Amino acid sequence: MPLMGKKNYRHLNKRLNRVDAADKITGRAVYAADISFPGMLYSGCLRSKYAHAEIVKIDTAKAKAIKGVHAVLIADDIPKPQSWADYPFLCNGRVKYVGETVAIVAAETETLVEDALKAIDVKYRELEGVFTIEDALEENAVQVREKGVGLKNGVPDKEKNGNIFFDSYYALRKGDIEKGFAEADFILEREYETSFVEHSYIEREACVVVKDQAAGLVTAYASAQNPFFTRRYLADAIQAPINKCRIVQKTLGGSFGGKEELVGLIVGRAALLAVATDRAVKMVMTREESFLESAKRHPFKFKYKAGLKKNGKITAWEGSQVANSGAYNNQTQYLACRAAIHSAGVYNIPHIKTDTYGVFTNNIHSGAMRGYSSPQIIFAQEQFINEIAKEFGFDEIELRKQNILQQGDLTATGQKLTEETITLEMIDHMVKRTEYFRKKKEYAGTHGSEEKRKGIALVTCYRGCGYGAETPDAGAALVTAIEDGTVLINSGLAENGQGLKTAYTQIAAEGIGCTPEVINFVGVDTHSIPDSGMTVASRGTVMGAQSMRKAAIELGDMLRETAAQQLDVKPEDIDIENNEYYAVGSKPLKKISLADVCNTRLWTGKSMAAFNWSEPGDLGIDHHTSQGDAFPTYSYGVVVAEVEVDMETGFVDVFRVTSGHDVGTCVNPDTVEGQIYGGIAMGQGFGVTEEVPVKKGQLSSLNFDSYIFPTSIDVPEMEAVIFECEDSAGTYGAKSLGEPATEAVGAAIAAAVADATGKPVRELPCNLERTLLGRSLGRERK
Amino acid sequence: MIRFDYKKPDSLDDCLELLDLYQEKARLFAGGTDLLVEFRADDKKLSNVELVIDISKLPELSFIESDEDSISIGAGTTFSEILNNPVLLKFAPFFTEACRTVGSPQIRNTGTIGGSIGTASPASDPGPPLVAMDSLLTLASPNGKRDVLLCDFMEGAYRTIIKPDELIVSVKFRKLNPDAGFSFVKLGRRKALAIARMNVAAYVETAVDGTVKDVRIVPGSCMPITMRIEEAEKMLLGEKPNYELHAAIGKKVSEKMVEASGRRWSTPYKEPVIATLVKRALNQAAGVE
Amino acid sequence: MVKIKLRMTVNHKIVETEIEPYARLLDVLRDKFGFTGVKEGCGIGECGACTIIMNGKKVNSCLILAAQAQGSEILTIEGVENPDGSMHPVQEAFLEKGAVQCGFCTPGMVISSYQLLSENPDPSDNEIKEAISGNLCRCTGYKQIINAVHMAADNMKKQGRYK
Repeated sequence: MPLMGKKNYRHLNKRLNRVDAADKITGRAVYAADISFPGMLYSGCLRSKYAHAEIVKIDTAKAKAIKGVHAVLIADDIPKPQSWADYPFLCNGRVKYVGETVAIVAAETETLVEDALKAIDVKYRELEGVFTIEDALEENAVQVREKGVGLKNGVPDKEKNGNIFFDSYYALRKGDIEKGFAEADFILEREYETSFVEHSYIEREACVVVKDQAAGLVTAYASAQNPFFTRRYLADAIQAPINKCRIVQKTLGGSFGGKEELVGLIVGRAALLAVATDRAVKMVMTREESFLESAKRHPFKFKYKAGLKKNGKITAWEGSQVANSGAYNNQTQYLACRAAIHSAGVYNIPHIKTDTYGVFTNNIHSGAMRGYSSPQIIFAQEQFINEIAKEFGFDEIELRKQNILQQGDLTATGQKLTEETITLEMIDHMVKRTEYFRKKKEYAGTHGSEEKRKGIALVTCYRGCGYGAETPDAGAALVTAIEDGTVLINSGLAENGQGLKTAYTQIAAEGIGCTPEVINFVGVDTHSIPDSGMTVASRGTVMGAQSMRKAAIELGDMLRETAAQQLDVKPEDIDIENNEYYAVGSKPLKKISLADVCNTRLWTGKSMAAFNWSEPGDLGIDHHTSQGDAFPTYSYGVVVAEVEVDMETGFVDVFRVTSGHDVGTCVNPDTVEGQIYGGIAMGQGFGVTEEVPVKKGQLSSLNFDSYIFPTSIDVPEMEAVIFECEDSAGTYGAKSLGEPATEAVGAAIAAAVADATGKPVRELPCNLERTLLGRSLGRERK
Repeated sequence: MIRFDYKKPDSLDDCLELLDLYQEKARLFAGGTDLLVEFRADDKKLSNVELVIDISKLPELSFIESDEDSISIGAGTTFSEILNNPVLLKFAPFFTEACRTVGSPQIRNTGTIGGSIGTASPASDPGPPLVAMDSLLTLASPNGKRDVLLCDFMEGAYRTIIKPDELIVSVKFRKLNPDAGFSFVKLGRRKALAIARMNVAAYVETAVDGTVKDVRIVPGSCMPITMRIEEAEKMLLGEKPNYELHAAIGKKVSEKMVEASGRRWSTPYKEPVIATLVKRALNQAAGVE
Repeated sequence: MVKIKLRMTVNHKIVETEIEPYARLLDVLRDKFGFTGVKEGCGIGECGACTIIMNGKKVNSCLILAAQAQGSEILTIEGVENPDGSMHPVQEAFLEKGAVQCGFCTPGMVISSYQLLSENPDPSDNEIKEAISGNLCRCTGYKQIINAVHMAADNMKKQGRYK
């Protein structure tokens, strides 16, 4: 069985202490909100209370007159209210969601900021809004955005007006769907839906922007997941050349995809205030502001229809996947691409027809959140597979085994899986490890109870690693050795808390040959390394680290060359152990320290730096059929959840989750396990309690007292099962884990709830009301 | 955030003097776990507040005393202090249990019983057991003291009859039979840091022949004002505790809830679930499977 | 508003400053005294990121008025390490057990764990979970944190220290 640990690496597969942990544990780590500068001003945003309204008039005179208030800006006061992405820095004319920012202020204290915001007078003319996916798709619905289009014959069409975000429309067409259904003995159709979900990172969005007059430079210290994107916002807001704009990423207190748009917007706003006041400006979101203005997980509505033969082979799969994009959006087009590619699950199906797109509504924008559509679609698909099994008398495990993708199969996009897959072995192993069949039988014994019933379920999924066909997965790394034998490594990708710094340190150590202890990772500073795209899509280790690996190997070669020269042997005869080079087989042992090698190179004018820009291979899918090679490789997951449902209150107690992941090569078991455990907790929240209640655009939950995610007492018993395989695509064979770690958990829990109650789960989260009554209460449909 | 001045009186009398002077322009600060949240939210109710009076360390308010018949708890006693008190654990275990479920360990270290009573949240956890014990509040003002029954003190969600120059000094209740059955059942969306979706405090005391001679049933987050449901209690008096009867009593409480509050958006959920929680609370208190 | 002269002991040192009467202890610790290890996650006493020890009890500093801390003894994350700057056993265990990811909840978690072990040198799983039940984490799923507290308890027993 390909469990972890059978590979042979010096520094990979090793439980190294995280290189950034000590600072965090002692309180020394500096997060963006911890920074201050002399003369720094505080700032704040004035927000719309309306979901859809014309701004008739804004009067800032009283606010400006307050002593200690240094600037009050509205759209008219700034060079470019509309940012390069769809989101405005400041609303110019019509607010389109509750919380949209219409003015910003800078003042000497936080209390003065409050006073100034209160003193701004805004007159609104309220307009009718559109809030749910159904409403947005109605003929003659209120049009939220000029660019929205309507449906024609069931698919988005530019010739009609409406609320569909046309650029986000991805059609997937594989084979011949009519033929597929004609071959089927059984056909089933079902619908599913999910809700708005909040990232809830514990650190709120923060930045401090400083102008350096002499250098003509504006620097933002920010809680930025994607420093290069944030830099684009900064330059855009103040209309400065990008080489005069700099982002220094501070320790990031979690992001999960959320610290993108909002951080870009607050950096832009703080920069505008810094320019207007000639002072450093700090902007920190309150938790309530973070709820109002940070991107949410896209709610989805799914319709699936599948056909299968008597022997269980699925022949046809048809579906629509519609997302709620909110009022402004620059993500759904990429997210829909991934959702389309994965629209038929981890299954080998010859004929597929799916349509995926987003709609505009008068809500906060939806954006990236760990998974980037996968938790939602895996939930829907895995419940659907189970409903198919139940309806037509198949065993849920056998049905999956019979249809699951294996090496050599063609995916939904027609890509041949050339890399090793261990999907069947994983299912068999997880079934055995969790004593699945014994428990299924035992728990079935509780299904007659009116009070508590237990359920168990196994779900399967896969995920394209890295950006894939969405965007080129290219990135830079710079590795430098120094005269005393220490090493600096610099990457364009960022530490969000997931352990990137540690993984890269291990990968660099592996490539150079030195120990991880002599390596220091420089945090992302956009002045010091080229734009390497975003730290998203779980690309950090699998793809993003390729440049780190290659640069490290190049540096290792340089140093070995000098060691060989100094020891008078050939480079092939040199090895290194504990930072000491030695001539293999020499007696007495000829050796020279890494430090001496570096010192020699310095004083003989030899390079000790290696830069690498790594580009992926050729990938691409046709935009009209989504056919093509979509990803360099795929991660596979099998998750088993066990729950106890209180049938009289609807409380779902998740008491055990066993989460199995094929990560290719496990760089660091501690950090991999940490991601899996954290992913389980996040998946539990997604499955059972997390939803941002929205009614006509008004959020009724703005903080953690009412937005519920698991505490230490709520999380289940967890087991992480790490599988490895031989994969040629990723760095040292590593594959994605960050998002796989959470994306199937909600689905497994929902399936286990369905097992326990005997009723299908078609809507998430399985909170008290839905689990007891089968529907949500008093909230509008999404 | 509302801005205010701060004073810390050394004695109850000094505190009352301040209340006399400031009336509705002052607010009392003990644990601050509700008050500071309200200040932060710029709650309109607090817009004319000028002064915060810190009573968190007033010795006259921090005590747990008991005599033969009753127990008296100072309003400034924290939930942690309540949890650690063996007398309360013996004579009012459902109250101890309720306090154990409030907030988090940090909140329990500063939050006070007086503050909780004064906030009068419909989802209060200590509320139902205190009401079940027919608790009596002692209020003090510059004009003297008065005693009010807890269930009369509350007017509705977050509303009490307390006057601007009054403060809660203590809550007192007669000791129940420590050998009788007590239970506190709470349903939240998660197992810690949870506001009660609904809760129930129950007390069942049986006579030698096994029939019930004293019963208290108080559902929380259920009625407009937290109260004992007498019609439901009467159903158990003189009877032997049993599952079916408890289920029927649960349904009765549910009926009374709908009668009192009408049908609202949450009723389809609350109606069956409060019946379940009452049934379970009675089962637990009476030791019935 | 009448400003208040505040004097208290933080991390074994006496400190003094002038504060607004409505100032939060969290802000005074961070902004006046530079103890930025004390974090704000929610501002309403839910997440526990701001947890400190005040007069021997752990509290959410976002819900403490600075004025209330007059004459108090405060311990923040910065005061947990040993006097010689080396890490306290709780901190070492967090490092060894991979209990830190983004690190934002970590100061609060360390304080809660530290406080637990000072009162209960041999806690069970449930007791540890209860002790950190007021500290929310979004990254770790809590498991490695719980493992770390067990390890710290073992090590502290071996070292013969109960503080």
